Amino acid sequence: MPVQTILLYPHPILKKLCRPVADIDPEIGGLIRDLVDTMHAGPGSVGVAAPQIGVSLRVCVVDVSASRLGKENNHGLLVMVNPEVVAREGAAVMREGCMSIPDYTGDVERATAITVHFTDESGNAREVAAEGFEAVAIQHEMDHLDGVLFLDRIVSLKTGLFRRKNYR
Amino acid sequence: MSECRKENLAHFAVTVISKDRPGIVADITEVLYRLGCNIEDSSCTMLGGDFAIILVVSHEKPFSKARLNDEFKTLHDRTGLATHIRPLAEEEICPVKEEGELCLVSVYGSDRPGIVYRVTRALADRRVNITDLNTRLIGTKEEPVYVLMLEAVLPDGMTVEDAAAVLDDLKKALQVEISIRAITPVAL
Repeated sequence: MPVQTILLYPHPILKKLCRPVADIDPEIGGLIRDLVDTMHAGPGSVGVAAPQIGVSLRVCVVDVSASRLGKENNHGLLVMVNPEVVAREGAAVMREGCMSIPDYTGDVERATAITVHFTDESGNAREVAAEGFEAVAIQHEMDHLDGVLFLDRIVSLKTGLFRRKNYR
Repeated sequence: MSECRKENLAHFAVTVISKDRPGIVADITEVLYRLGCNIEDSSCTMLGGDFAIILVVSHEKPFSKARLNDEFKTLHDRTGLATHIRPLAEEEICPVKEEGELCLVSVYGSDRPGIVYRVTRALADRRVNITDLNTRLIGTKEEPVYVLMLEAVLPDGMTVEDAAAVLDDLKKALQVEISIRAITPVAL
């Protein structure tokens, strides 16, 4: 089962809270391969979360190394099982889109730097300090594990430019 | 949207500009809902003390502009909301694909005639396509400040630096601040 179809909203699995993974068993190994294959198959795709391919488990993959915005500063392919953000810093707005919601983009505010704790594909506990586009991509994919879509986080309408506060 | 062109649908542009109050959108869309119209696209915002509504609506054929007019006439008599309706031609319905780099341009400075015109003419002459534009007069009565924000797609081959150079000349001529930056929507 290599490249999987990306499920589109309103598929109900995209709004569900995903279950934690107990063990990195062969089944999870297969899921990880599918996620990586699916990510690499999507044009310009830098991440996929398990619910996007129909599996309600806390697994996502991120790889911004081939992207224009992320190529200078990244950790290569990150396979993240049960990821948790343990520290976050800063805030910046970026215009995001999502493969599960085609033809729409919106301004979303994310932390500019995060420290994320997770189990990798070999079952090792890892901690990664990510910043910039990689940090944004990780936060976007991790949101999928909580059934949160970027539409839930849009901070301004296109016409709201003057109402956006920059006073912090 | 790939399915924007539907043979069986008639499309109309509906615009309303009216003194702002709660309920304008509900009043207009109630009429459309009752008629069985779909709102295909829309942009609505406050403009000064008015609220402006721009909608693209569709309805299964056969459906005439007269039918919409009749219903909105009744609404006008009841609420004072004046609606303008224009049938859309086939080629107007599908969104134009945006190919080049998407940019945000900020222009601001002491208010003076010609800011919007000079900036947009300079962009138009270089085939830069504006996709969104807002202006607002801020500051004080003594020192009014004009703010213009626009999003635009650069033509193929034009970089943000090229566009910045064009705007730099204007900056001096108009004595306003102008900055441009790429928005680069990210697909995640």
